[in-house]
Amino acid sequence: MEEQEILSQVVAIFKEELDNEEIELTMESTAKEVEDWDSLSHIHLMVAIEKHFKIRFTSTEISSFKNVGEMVETVKKRLG
Amino acid sequence: MGFIIEEIIEKIGLKNPEHAAKLSKNLAGLEAEIYPASESFFQKYYAYLEKEGKTIDFGIDCYLHMCDDMLIQRHKFIETGKYTSTSFDEVEKRVYGNEAIMTYHMHGLVLGQFLWFEQFERFKFFKENLIKYFPSQGKYLEIGGGHGLYMLGALELLPTDTVFDLVDISQSSINLAKGVIDNSKVNYTLKNVFDISDEDKYDFFTMGEVLEHLEDPIAILKKLANLIGKTGKGYITTPINSPMIDHIYLFNNETDIREVFDKAGLSILTEKIVISEHISPKLANKFKVPIMYAAFVEQKK
Repeated sequence: MEEQEILSQVVAIFKEELDNEEIELTMESTAKEVEDWDSLSHIHLMVAIEKHFKIRFTSTEISSFKNVGEMVETVKKRLG
Repeated sequence: MGFIIEEIIEKIGLKNPEHAAKLSKNLAGLEAEIYPASESFFQKYYAYLEKEGKTIDFGIDCYLHMCDDMLIQRHKFIETGKYTSTSFDEVEKRVYGNEAIMTYHMHGLVLGQFLWFEQFERFKFFKENLIKYFPSQGKYLEIGGGHGLYMLGALELLPTDTVFDLVDISQSSINLAKGVIDNSKVNYTLKNVFDISDEDKYDFFTMGEVLEHLEDPIAILKKLANLIGKTGKGYITTPINSPMIDHIYLFNNETDIREVFDKAGLSILTEKIVISEHISPKLANKFKVPIMYAAFVEQKK
């Protein structure tokens, strides 16, 4: 799966989990820029992404993603 | 820099800036109350570390290690809706029986008592109400002394002729409590509360963060209800939706806790519920954010 396709699916997950249809993400987006994406919702978002793509992140990855791009790249790597 | 807690947060920031920022955000507006209140406790903790040949850097490493564990546990909890352990034996083998894990976990919890505003709020609740529910003289029991904070609060507030007993099933926990409390008035005993004779009555018990470690919280509450008799009182804390390496019993909400109290023959005198983030109950429920519960109780009439 290409990065842009993964990104668009990640955006859909964020909209669903954060209950906000206005969310727009780019590869450079960080938690600071996205309303309600904080330490509370972060684990929920990660678990939702894992379930959607049927992959597992490591705990180190979960706590160290600097932006959406790093997350998307990790998903891409896991999907092979 | 004035208070020890400020030094601790700054040192945490050197190792984990994101976490320090989160702590500062959560403590914002509460500094004037929490920072002075934490000072004597952290002075005692520093003195204990020094006696042990350690510095606060050791405590901070323990705390951050515990936070890493919490992240892993939270990940699994959100995924499954359950705590990772279901039996006491399992946790005893994995955690209580492992000196290294117990050490960092216990020291981590010491720092959490004031770095986490929700813990402070419950301690404040305890101190504000303890005198009201304690007789003019009597016997005080604490089960699971841990970080020693609640015993220090009781020593500060209760009459000087009070008998102070602390029982714990973990020697590591007793050693830490003894080191931090550093007071010869307290009788520390390595003992299971079930081994206390039913004839040995107490006027008050405090049991902070124990129920979630048990397979059958009702059994211990029945035992405690019996130990305080018709006139005694107790103070109990336990968390909701709070996955940790040694938590077994999951309380999904405060109703679950109240039901357990009721089944054990305890009634609630007053209670305090604090969400561990500055968010609404609705959001806390949606994201299963830990909620801290505390109550003063007595036998049901």
